[in-house]
Amino acid sequence: MSTTETPLKRVAYYKGCLASLSAKELDTSTQALAPQVGLELVELESVTCCGAGDIHEAEPDYYLHLNARILAYAEATGCDMLMTVCNVCTLNLRQANYMLQGDSGLLARINENLETVGVPPYSGGVEVRHLLWEIAEGEGYEKLKKVAHRGLKGLKVAPFYGCQILRPSKILGFEDPDRPWSLERIIEACGGEAIDYPAKIKCCGFPIIQAREETALGELIQPVEQALEAGADVMVTPCPLCHLSLDAWQQKLEAATGRAFNLPILHLAQLVGVAAGLDESELKFKRHIVDPRPALERLEV
Amino acid sequence: MAAAGEEVLMKVALKIWRYDSATGDRALKEYEIQAPEWATLLDCLDIVKDKHDGSLAYRKSCRMMICGSCGMRMDGAAVLACKTRMYEIAQSGHVPVVSAMGNLPIRKDLVVDMDPFWAKFNAMKPWLQPGYERPEDGREYRISQERMNVIHKEALCINCGCCVSECNAMESDPEFLGPQALAKGMRFVGDPRDGATIERLEQYNSEHGIWDCTRCFFCNERCPKGVDPRDAIAKLGAESVAQGIDRDMGAKHAKWFVKSAETTGWLRETELVPKTQGVVEALKQTKFALNLAKHGKVPPPFPPHVARDVNEARNLRKLVREQDRQGALGHVQGEHALAKLDHGHAGESLEEIYDRPGAAPRPWLPEIKEEPSA
Repeated sequence: MSTTETPLKRVAYYKGCLASLSAKELDTSTQALAPQVGLELVELESVTCCGAGDIHEAEPDYYLHLNARILAYAEATGCDMLMTVCNVCTLNLRQANYMLQGDSGLLARINENLETVGVPPYSGGVEVRHLLWEIAEGEGYEKLKKVAHRGLKGLKVAPFYGCQILRPSKILGFEDPDRPWSLERIIEACGGEAIDYPAKIKCCGFPIIQAREETALGELIQPVEQALEAGADVMVTPCPLCHLSLDAWQQKLEAATGRAFNLPILHLAQLVGVAAGLDESELKFKRHIVDPRPALERLEV
Repeated sequence: MAAAGEEVLMKVALKIWRYDSATGDRALKEYEIQAPEWATLLDCLDIVKDKHDGSLAYRKSCRMMICGSCGMRMDGAAVLACKTRMYEIAQSGHVPVVSAMGNLPIRKDLVVDMDPFWAKFNAMKPWLQPGYERPEDGREYRISQERMNVIHKEALCINCGCCVSECNAMESDPEFLGPQALAKGMRFVGDPRDGATIERLEQYNSEHGIWDCTRCFFCNERCPKGVDPRDAIAKLGAESVAQGIDRDMGAKHAKWFVKSAETTGWLRETELVPKTQGVVEALKQTKFALNLAKHGKVPPPFPPHVARDVNEARNLRKLVREQDRQGALGHVQGEHALAKLDHGHAGESLEEIYDRPGAAPRPWLPEIKEEPSA
C-alpha cells in the first residue's frame, strides 16, 4: 500500500554494518516500511562501514576519508539526503559532514585523495538524517499517522534513545537531548502508550561491551530495570547497537543477577511496522533473542 | 516603568535538594525570591542565602566562569551556576530543581566532596615534564601555533567537574579516570614540550583508563568551556594506537574495525570477539555465541560480506598513512570546522562572517595557512 497522492521522496539509504549482518531484520523492516511513510530508498553499493566511532578513535584521518567516501557516493545518486537507521552511523557521518562542509581546505585535501583512488569528489551537498527524524515530524509524520492503521492498542512502549542520536547536540541537533520527544510522538501516533523512565537518554554500554563487559552491564541494567518497573511491555530503540546489547546481552544480565527480565526490544522500523501491519517475513521477530511475539499477541484481533 | 539606573526585579522560584551528610537528612525545599532580571543561578542562590536561609551550602568564587567552583545540577543536568541565566526560566513559570553534582559524594546541600576528583586529576601528573631540546643559539624554545592547536581545547578546562558529574561509565565503574582527568592527560600528551608522552600513554591505557569510556558524550554536552573531553579521550586513543600502545582490548577492538574496513569494507562482526578478547577468552563465550547464532546473530565469516569497490577503501588507507596525519592530528584537523557549530555559522568562512552586513569589526586573528596541496 504505497501512498499515491505525493511522489515518494528519494533518499540515499545507508544501512550500515549491523543491518547488513546480524540485524538483517532492521533492514527488511525498514525497506518494507519506507514507501508507506513516503520514502524511496536508493541503496548504496560501494560504501563501507562508517567506523562506528572505533576508526574515529584509532585512525581519525582514515575515519574522515571513509565517511567522505560514503557521502560522495550518496551525493552521486542525485539525492540530497542520506538516511541512516543507526545512531552511531548518524553521529559519525554528520560529524564528518560538518568537518568537510565547514573547512574548504580540508574538503579539498580529502577530495584530492578520493579522486586519486577513483571515488567521485564530494561537494558537501548531502544532509545526513536518521529515519527517526523523518517520521517524527513533517510529511513523514503525517504519513505515519495514516499507515499505523492497525495500531498498538495501548501497548506500553518504553522509548530508548541511546546516546549518539542525542549527544553531542551541536552535531545531532534534532531535539533537546535532555527532553527528547520524537520516539514518544511516534509511539503515540501508532496508538501505543509511551512509558517514561530516567535512563531513556543514557548509555546502553555497547561500545565497551566486549572490552569492559562488567562496566557495560552496569549501564545496561538501568534502562532494562527501570522500563520494566514503569510497566513496559516492550522497548523500542532507533539504534541497532543499542538493540544488540539490550536484546542479546540481556541474557548476561539475567545470568549476573539471577533475575528474569524478558523485555522484548524492537527496532524503530519494527514498532511502526507492527502498527502498519507488516508481516513476519518483513519484521523477522524470530531473529530476536527475547521474542517479542508473545507481548504483541494481544494486538491480534 | 523603572527609573534610569533602577533595577527591574523578577520573581524566581527554585527547588533545592538540601542534604546533611552528618545526619543523613534530605529534603527538597522551595524558595521564592526577587532577583534582578540579569541574575544567574548563582546570584539567585546568593539571594536565598542572604535573605531566606543562611544555612544553604554551595561553593563559589570568581562568579565569571573561570574558577570552576560552582558546578551543580539544575533539572538533573550539570551546569556552572554563574553561567546559567534565570530570566527565561523565570518567565516560563518553570520551577527548576537544583541539586549537587553526580558521581561525587555529597557533603552538604550543593557541596560535593571533590577529593576523588582531585585524586584522579593528580594521578595524571598534571604538570609539564620538560623533554625538549634547547635551541643551540641559547634563545627560547618556540612552538608554532599549529602544534599548540592540538591541545587548544584541552587547555580551556577549569576543573569544575560538570563532565564527571554525568559520566555514564564512571557511574558503573567509579575507578574510571574519567573525562576531566583524561582531558588533562591529553593536555600534556599533546604538548610538544612534554617529554613523558610514552609513560603517560602507558598509564592512561590502564584498566580504568581511556578504553573504559563508553562514548555517551554527556561530557561534551555538559562542559561549560568547550573542552569536549570525549574528543580528548579519542585523541589519546589515536595517539596510543599511533605509538603502538595497543594491548588493551579496547584498542584491539578499534583496530579490528580498521582492518575490516580495508579488507571487506564492512565490519567482520563474527571475528570481532576473538580479535578483541583473544581466542581463549572468546572460547569461554561459546554458549552465549551459540544462542546468538541460533537467531542469525552470528553471520558466518565465509564467504565474507564484501563491499563493492573495496579496493578504494584499501587504497585510501595507504594514501592516508603516507600523508602522516596519524594520532591526534587526525582529530584536530576537523576542530576548526566543528567549532563553527558552536556559533551557528557552520557553512561560512571567517571572511564571510566578518563580511556580513552589520558584523562586528574583524579582530586580530592569526593567519590560517592553507595546507599546501600534495
